[in-house]
Amino acid sequence: MRDQIGSIRERGAELVIVGNGAPSFAEAFREDLSLDAPLLCDPERRSYRAAGLRRGRVEALSPRLPMNALRALRSGARQQGVEGDPWQLGGVFVIRPDGATTFRHASREAGDHPPIAEILRALEPGAPALPEAEPTSRLARSAGRVLGAMVDPWIVPSFDRTGFRIHSLAFDPADLDVSLDGRRCLVTGANSGIGYETALALADLGAEVVLLCRSAERGEGAAARIRECTGSSLVSSETLDVSDLASVRAAVEKLSTAPVDVLVHNAGVLPDRRVETADGLELAFATHVAGPFLLTRGLAPALAAAPEGRVVWVSSGGMYTRRLEVRDPNWEHRDYDGVIAYAETKRAQVVLAELFAERFRGTSVRVNAMHPGWADTPSVRRSLPAFHRVTRAILRTPAEGADTVIWLAASPAAGGQAGRFFFDRQARRTHLLPFTREDEDARRELWRLCEALASEASGDSPVPPD
Amino acid sequence: MRLASRIGAIEVQDPTGAPRRLGEFWKRQPVVLVFVRHFG
Repeated sequence: MRDQIGSIRERGAELVIVGNGAPSFAEAFREDLSLDAPLLCDPERRSYRAAGLRRGRVEALSPRLPMNALRALRSGARQQGVEGDPWQLGGVFVIRPDGATTFRHASREAGDHPPIAEILRALEPGAPALPEAEPTSRLARSAGRVLGAMVDPWIVPSFDRTGFRIHSLAFDPADLDVSLDGRRCLVTGANSGIGYETALALADLGAEVVLLCRSAERGEGAAARIRECTGSSLVSSETLDVSDLASVRAAVEKLSTAPVDVLVHNAGVLPDRRVETADGLELAFATHVAGPFLLTRGLAPALAAAPEGRVVWVSSGGMYTRRLEVRDPNWEHRDYDGVIAYAETKRAQVVLAELFAERFRGTSVRVNAMHPGWADTPSVRRSLPAFHRVTRAILRTPAEGADTVIWLAASPAAGGQAGRFFFDRQARRTHLLPFTREDEDARRELWRLCEALASEASGDSPVPPD
Repeated sequence: MRLASRIGAIEVQDPTGAPRRLGEFWKRQPVVLVFVRHFG
């Protein structure tokens, strides 16, 4: 490819090379090849994964490898010592300043290089933009469903990266071939991880997106990054501490002046000790339950004013381990355990999604919950360092974790669903263990608790449970 | 989601270790973005 730099530049383009070794190896690589082009390093291979490039021993050691190596030798390439991930495969893309991709090649095996003539053709003026998602055949999707059903009874491989790969075989890429022009989307905790990826994808689909973040600085930084990546000017940030009911009430006042098409409850916390908020609530309960409840309740008229309002609760697979807790949700009479507090409040989110779906019945608003599987997010790194150390190699990317959130928020295929719990674009059971089932009284008590808090914060009358 | 949006925000490093965002490279002109298997 380095021999083609002149041809590429003649067409007004630049060659940019990304490798997965450390920066020190990049400099040696550049010197060895006398390379006069930008050279970048991605040792964590985040861009490789986001670009959908393959990795695996079978592919890297394909039977055609000797033939490919011989071909490379004939063309003058000389293999030195390997610096980087030996099982990672490469790829070539042509990307225009308007963000369109005009050429895409993901290597299927080592030495699988695309013809240079095709790359140069993709640089010609008027080269057509490729559809972003490659269509998958009905057969591949059916195979994905069968394989998915085989891994579903297990946590690994299901919640992990392999689970996403298997489940995503059944995805229809056309599901997200949609324009969100004119839609207004709100995402809490959107400055990093799954929230950020959700906001980015919704902006990319043309929506107006408001990032609701505790830190004004981090929120605006993320919004600026999304504006830069998508070229959209319709991305902004607002300060919201979802654990603080006064902050939620202020956000409701500010945000309810126009219809809300999408509300994503993503902000989360896993405290390592009991922390009480200004409202006297335990922090996980305030962040996952009381705050989002008040936000949904306050924005209900704005959601109903949208042609098809959608609310997505980002819960967690950890909720499968716990029953709905309404006797001591604020941990006043138990020894505190942050992991249990997290799982209990994530269970409460799934129940609230069902209860709100019932409340919105007869309107165009659809409320659902989902869990993202195990994703490598800053929050997991920070809150569960030991878990992250052990599972790091098998965690999903934040974008993979966000996929079902985006699908529920944006896809017409998810449009008719309400009060359901999704994982990898499929509705799932909400209980795997019999002792986690709650009774009707517990569900009514959760609603009553949340309504009491919300009505006190809003200064109005509580709406009784049905 | 478009590839450019998906990978544009990802921070990589140049050979000096300085952080660079992939998206900055196709801001002004088209790029041929080559992901190599490894350095060497």
